[in-house]
Amino acid sequence: MNEKKNRGLAGLLSSDRWSDFTVSVLAILLMLITSSIILLLMGRNPLVAFRSFLQGCGILPKANYGGGSGMLSDFFDYLNILSPMLLAALSFIVAFKTGLFNIGISGQMLLSGFLATIMVGYIKELSPWLAKPLVLLIGAAAGGLCGALIGFLKYRFNIHEVVSTIMVNYIISFTTGFFINTRYVDMLTRSSRICTPAARLTWTKVPIGGVSCNIPLGIVIAIVCALLVKFIFDRTVFGFELKAVGTSRSCARYVGVNVRKSIILSMAFSGVFAGLAGVTYYLGYTNTMVPKTLPGMGYDSIAVALLGNSSPIGAIFASAIVTIFQSGANYMSSSVGVAKEIASLITGVLLLFAACGEFMKELGRRKIQKEEDKRIQAIQAAHLKEVSEKGGADR
Amino acid sequence: MTKLFTDGLSFALPLLIMAVGAIYSEKSGVTNLAIEGFQGFGAFIGALAAVLIMRHVSDSSQVPIYVAMLFAALGGGVYACLHALLSVNFKANQVISGVVVNILAVAMTTFFTSAANTALTGTASNKFILGVSNRYTIPVISGVPWIGGLFQKMYPFEWIIIVLVIFFWYLMYRTRFGMRLRACGENPQALDAAGGNVVRTRWIAVIISGALSGIGGICFAYSIMANYSPSIYMGYGYLAIAAMIFGNWSIPSTVLVCLVFGMAKAGGQQLCIAMKLSSNYTDIFNMLPYVLTMLLLIFFSKRNHPPQASGQVWDKSRR
Repeated sequence: MNEKKNRGLAGLLSSDRWSDFTVSVLAILLMLITSSIILLLMGRNPLVAFRSFLQGCGILPKANYGGGSGMLSDFFDYLNILSPMLLAALSFIVAFKTGLFNIGISGQMLLSGFLATIMVGYIKELSPWLAKPLVLLIGAAAGGLCGALIGFLKYRFNIHEVVSTIMVNYIISFTTGFFINTRYVDMLTRSSRICTPAARLTWTKVPIGGVSCNIPLGIVIAIVCALLVKFIFDRTVFGFELKAVGTSRSCARYVGVNVRKSIILSMAFSGVFAGLAGVTYYLGYTNTMVPKTLPGMGYDSIAVALLGNSSPIGAIFASAIVTIFQSGANYMSSSVGVAKEIASLITGVLLLFAACGEFMKELGRRKIQKEEDKRIQAIQAAHLKEVSEKGGADR
Repeated sequence: MTKLFTDGLSFALPLLIMAVGAIYSEKSGVTNLAIEGFQGFGAFIGALAAVLIMRHVSDSSQVPIYVAMLFAALGGGVYACLHALLSVNFKANQVISGVVVNILAVAMTTFFTSAANTALTGTASNKFILGVSNRYTIPVISGVPWIGGLFQKMYPFEWIIIVLVIFFWYLMYRTRFGMRLRACGENPQALDAAGGNVVRTRWIAVIISGALSGIGGICFAYSIMANYSPSIYMGYGYLAIAAMIFGNWSIPSTVLVCLVFGMAKAGGQQLCIAMKLSSNYTDIFNMLPYVLTMLLLIFFSKRNHPPQASGQVWDKSRR
């Protein structure tokens, strides 16, 4: 019985059609087991903790709600974090498919959020119909230019994109921190002044069904972008060229793909999505910027992208799962009493298992190969025995 | 001026030891972006050991520092096994593995620092207060004009680092093991054919890399930061990687690059003090090493020769 079950798992892990899905599910299961062990060691009930994660992001009802808020408002807050997370994951995916690692998503988010905030967010009299598109445009442009710069440095000067993005991250972080501290600081909160409601990408305090909700505009943008990325990679020549460069740079060059253009455009595209993630994060979710702090989301999105097997549709589901832990962490922390940093620990563990995906597939393949070998050996042995018996009879 | 050399050296040496760690890993053929995570995790273990021991010794005692350094090396080395496991045995993409190891290190140390503080003191602080190591001035040489600053107010760990760097230089370029390690990064098939063990060599190299990074991390915690907190992830690990790239994966030239980085950082601070700017402006000067790195990379990256097999998964059956 047990053996049959194992073979089933190995089969799922190694089959072409299902392996990506199975690996992700297995990674999530392993993550749940590991975090349960950590919670148990701390003397907490993991089931209660996981339930309060779900309660915190409006998927399960809480025991009691404060005035004016309800399950729906929690759920919209969850969507509000989900949208930049998904956009950031798309940003990683676009670069990753081209064989590049955009570790600079955090910096690009910070830059675009900062520029959009100071250019649009502080203008008092501006119609929301003008301000919101302008914010998106500035965000996309800032992120895109920053990404293109990285691509240019990579191609022209042979600077590994991981090193350059990290350097650029810190440069952006210090520069924006300096300007926020000297010019745009709110003396009370020590972070930047909040931007006007007209520019904000979240409709705040919309009454729905008796509770007030913050409806994020970003989630629509994020889903549209995910479909767009899928379309580009599945249906266009441009997307195919990017994938070709990602698979083998020299091969792509021989078949006539302009590798230089592909690298720069891919990083620029990646930057555009990071920029959109930045504005939906800083002008949607938080509405303020803490100086000299890179958003951790830029790194968490790598976990999302890997878990979603670097496919845009997979990223939608993966970000929905990872965000549960991010969004529900506060409620979980207050109701179960575990520090809310456990959310990033859980994300890290998930990332670890997602990175082992290739190994899991190989284990599945090996297992099947072994069983196949055993079967063949048994047949051969039986055959040999038959032959020798026959030979003996003849003699 | 002397302060420039003093501060510059105390920043350059921890950076150097991390860069040497990075060189070891890359020379064996394992791309190592995990230095940042190694140094943070190593420093966490070291700081934890120091905090535990500090309760039993007198306040002025310098013993915890050396214990912390030992444990930081151990912690970094043990944590490095994760990167080795992922990138050598599990055949994961080495860049991804490095990033994973970094993210996990930040998450784990942040979480466990507050957990440990809650258990030890009852307050959920995310800091271990360590204090700053004592400093010593070498009597005669420190009086020399200009370079005398190099020998003033030295942290004891600077000497330890210098000894370690010389030892690891010797190990890499003058011993049989070092020869094999370098072969492993250039042409692992050749090493395998010559009877070497590629997997074992890479494991040892990555562990050395983790141990050295851990030492670098705890030295930063005991000098610039004066405590252990998540702010140890300042990107110095990445700076060490950048230093390694300029140093063209060779230990002697990396020494020079690290000294330049250290001077640039100290110089920025001195300039800020000399110009009597407000503390906000330190951010601009703190940015200098990173800007310098970018500029230098633009000029020097073209001529680089990274180890040939670095970043490639080793497959015995491949030619």
